[in-house]
Amino acid sequence: MLSNNLKLAWHFYKQEYQSSHQRLLRWIQGILLLFIITLSQSSISIQAYLDHNLQSLLGADAVLSQKAELTPSQHTEVIEITDDMVITQHIKTTLTHNGQWQQAKLKAVGEHYPLQGELLTSTALKEKGMPTFAAPKNGHIWLDARILASLSLNIGDHLQLANQQFLVSRILQHEPDRLMEGHTVDMRAMINLQDMKALNFSPDLIHYRYLLAATPAQVNNLIKWQENNLPAAEIRHKNGNHPLALFWQRTENFMGLASIILFFMAAIAVNQLTQVHMKKDQYFSAICMSLGASNSTGIQVSFFKWFIGLLLLLPVVVLLSACSHWLIVNWLQETFADMQWQWHAKSALVSISAVVTIFAVFHAPVWLSLRNNSVANLFADKSKGLSHWLSKISSLIVLSAVTITYSDNALLTMMMVAATLFTIILMILISWSTLTLGEKFTQNFSGLVPFSLFMMKQRLVSKSTQILGIGLCAFLLLFTLMLLKDLGATMSSYQRQHDGNVMISQATKPQMQFIENWAKEQKIAVRQAKPYMYAKLIEINQQSLSKFSDKPSDSLATFSRAIRLHWTEQVPQNNKVIDGQWWQPNSENWQQVSIEEEVMTDLGLAIGDWLTFFIGQEEIKFQITASHVFKPGAGSITFWVQMPPTALAHIQAPHYNMASIELDSQQWPLLANLWQKFPSLRMISLKEMTDLFDRMLAMITKVISGFSLMIILLAGVVILASINALESKEKKKNSIIMSFGFTRSTCLKLNIIEWLVTASITATGAILGTYFTGLLIYQSQFSLNYQPDFVWLIATLATILCLVTGLGIYASRSNLKSSVKQLMADT
Amino acid sequence: MSNYIELKKISQSFNTNDATITLFNDLNLVISQGESYAITGPSGAGKSSLLMLISGLEEPTSGQGIYVDVEQKKTLKELRNDIGFIFQQFHLLPELTALNNVALPLKLRGDKNAMAKAKVWLDKVGLAHRVDHKPSELSGGEQQRVAIARALVFEPKFIFADEPTGNLDQKSATEIANILFTCCQENNAALVLVTHSETLAARAQHKYLLADRQLNQTVSPSDLDTNNIVQVASC
Ligand SMILES: Nc1ncnc2c1ncn2[C@@H]1O[C@H](COP(=O)(O)OP(=O)(O)OP(=O)(O)O)[C@@H](O)[C@H]1O
Ligand SMILES: [Mg+2]
Repeated sequence: MLSNNLKLAWHFYKQEYQSSHQRLLRWIQGILLLFIITLSQSSISIQAYLDHNLQSLLGADAVLSQKAELTPSQHTEVIEITDDMVITQHIKTTLTHNGQWQQAKLKAVGEHYPLQGELLTSTALKEKGMPTFAAPKNGHIWLDARILASLSLNIGDHLQLANQQFLVSRILQHEPDRLMEGHTVDMRAMINLQDMKALNFSPDLIHYRYLLAATPAQVNNLIKWQENNLPAAEIRHKNGNHPLALFWQRTENFMGLASIILFFMAAIAVNQLTQVHMKKDQYFSAICMSLGASNSTGIQVSFFKWFIGLLLLLPVVVLLSACSHWLIVNWLQETFADMQWQWHAKSALVSISAVVTIFAVFHAPVWLSLRNNSVANLFADKSKGLSHWLSKISSLIVLSAVTITYSDNALLTMMMVAATLFTIILMILISWSTLTLGEKFTQNFSGLVPFSLFMMKQRLVSKSTQILGIGLCAFLLLFTLMLLKDLGATMSSYQRQHDGNVMISQATKPQMQFIENWAKEQKIAVRQAKPYMYAKLIEINQQSLSKFSDKPSDSLATFSRAIRLHWTEQVPQNNKVIDGQWWQPNSENWQQVSIEEEVMTDLGLAIGDWLTFFIGQEEIKFQITASHVFKPGAGSITFWVQMPPTALAHIQAPHYNMASIELDSQQWPLLANLWQKFPSLRMISLKEMTDLFDRMLAMITKVISGFSLMIILLAGVVILASINALESKEKKKNSIIMSFGFTRSTCLKLNIIEWLVTASITATGAILGTYFTGLLIYQSQFSLNYQPDFVWLIATLATILCLVTGLGIYASRSNLKSSVKQLMADT
Repeated sequence: MSNYIELKKISQSFNTNDATITLFNDLNLVISQGESYAITGPSGAGKSSLLMLISGLEEPTSGQGIYVDVEQKKTLKELRNDIGFIFQQFHLLPELTALNNVALPLKLRGDKNAMAKAKVWLDKVGLAHRVDHKPSELSGGEQQRVAIARALVFEPKFIFADEPTGNLDQKSATEIANILFTCCQENNAALVLVTHSETLAARAQHKYLLADRQLNQTVSPSDLDTNNIVQVASC
């Protein structure tokens, strides 16, 4: 029985293979599978890479890292818990040579270094690295090859660091403990620990790192000890997470949001096609039943037919995704150096079965419609109501499930869903009101336009599904393109908009005082200068941060390190309070903070919550009394967390400044003096910054372009599907019109008018939806000023719609191949 | 004399991949406005195809068709504006109410009184109380009445009906036939009817049989009574 049904299914699969409803379904399934499989394969490759990286690049069993040195008693306690310890010190500094400068990460190591793994150095640029078992000698410095190039240095030269001479003696090829650096592109230099002391940097600028050898049990003890004694310190161990894992997961989740959009479109397309599939399968099932088969035969054949289709699609999809995965891995190798292409069969299987299940749910209405039907029912084709709603509801359930799975950035997800809902409602309203009013006003005119409006109004339900499908596609496409364009434009116009062309991200109090005087002398404009101190969030409402939320988000990732805490009496000019109450001047109550809105949403905070920060050497509690957002136009330096200045009297911690200054081209060489005096000053020039942006932009452009391509492909499929769904109805309508004595060209004209009306309704909806979405998402998610360029928007939309109308008219030309004769033959 | 359609020495054949099917040869026929015609014949004889040729929607393989309109000779292509169709499957648009279905051809022609005229016609076919019902809420007989109203509402000079009662029971069939004949007569429209039903064919003024590639007129004995029966129906 089963094998019989399988044979039947195979037979019908082959017969329907070329028909458009099956071809469209294959396209949808193919595109979505390709996207999801490639995404999951790439993500697993990266995770595997990160894991391998963690095992081989930690340079220790555990690493404890913090801004201050361990006190002698803490030091002994750690040594007691663990087997061995090596101390390294780190500082961001600027090296100068012959009036040139270069920022670098300077690492100071002792005689014991390295603890685990191999330190590779060489004495010539092209030489292979040799294992090295000692630290640089006093007065020596080892440099990364890139510094040699950028400062035009050779081995044996001397360079200057804070008025001391160092001999460049070796080239640094590989450090076994680089993992903690993350994947910064900072250039690297290494000196002896004793030289570090002699350089006499302010202690609060130095970062201390303790490389520890320990058994897993000892590591666990260490973690417990750290939680109790050094809550603000960062700890990494071989059984834990890679520092980049969180970052990567966020990226992945953002891609997840992108896949929600694709699923959305696929759902629309499948939904449109379901009507056709239902009709065909019902007809077939009715024939089977009239020949005495049970009604499960129809369902089985329909299911097998669907399944065979998917099964035969899989080899092609798997092959294609293997290729695109290979391309992506190649591209990622620029960032993750020795990443390897590898096929992960198990994960492919998991993602395939997940997507197949989702497709099954999308398709389920067809099978359900076959279930409760009798022969008479099926032939009469009256099973509309229930299965119609079932199909809508099942799609909704799947979409919400996908959305919930990917709700990394809750705010962004909510915004996207809200924007989509808004657009849907808007488009329903627009199509209803345009058609109703249009029909009313044109009632007394003769011509084809009033007739088209009348017909569309009469067929509002089926027409509005089509309008919705196409409209949502146009909206998503337009929004993606707008975002792509605006991100690009913002990056390139950064030069003009930016206030100041040198950004100082960390200057100590004496450094800042010096800079201010120096700027006055040299007639350099200081655009902004804002004070801050470092604070590490450790508890929210008495609950430790790690337990508070296990979902990754932008904010949480940042809060795992110390953040900058700003103090100010007034609301800063580039901020706006949107919730709660800002403090009164000289407020007695100093334990209050204002938190940025997005951070509030991401961490699920509310006004009145208590936050515990670790500042300096103590824990300090603050209550959230206000929430602020960034307001463009008054400088770009803004802070997530701000407190009243009265708090300063109660907190012992170093103060720093963020500032931006503006130099003209002749003044650039002056920076060399500044850096020679303060090698640890964190300062970045616009050129370096734009380089960074350019790299980011190139990456974003690639990702968004790939994504747009997917959307464009799917949009095409949705349009074709929505035409396919209405094809039989359209054919009949055209035949009937011809039976009234009209020619085919009248039908064509009607068709064109109908598409133009559809396009205009869609256009209005898409433009308004895009505008609203931009309003919601731009500032908060991409820190972009939202200044929609309506000329560009309308031009782009016009292009999209010309393509839509063209494609629509082209694809519906088969509807015109109808004749009165068909009406006679139709029995 | 009123307007008429004349077919002279018409032949129709189709080339399929392995053979040529000839439906009929050298066929002659005149359809005059205001009169009724019935065409019967076995299935596959080519009745529906003949209907397409008469109405000018398809071209014959050979032969000539002319349309004489107020003493003017025209080609059959120019007949287009003056024809209406009624089908076995009714073919109403399911999304439209009965009234809107009837108003459809008038709206397409830009008639401002479309709705009022449609209402009058629905009244004529006895469906004044069902104007706002969708086709799915109407019985087959009722749907066919709507279809008749739709075909006649724009007052075409020639009505073509392909088995208009083929899907109906005896009682409804009789009702539909009554309406069809009276309405066409009142409108002074020609009615060309294809049917398998002898009783229906018998009510036409002219009866033809299409068989063996020939069209032959058959004389019906009840010719003279038809009009009397018809008067039972209202139009
Ligand atoms: N375009 C065509 N190409 C080939 N063969 C055709 C074409 N149109 C009709 N035929 C053939 O012509 C024959 C007559 O068809 P037609 O529909 O006119 O018959 P009919 O008399 O109306 O039959 P019925 O009473 O069953 O409706 C059929 O055998 C049909 O297959
Ligand atoms: Mg026929």
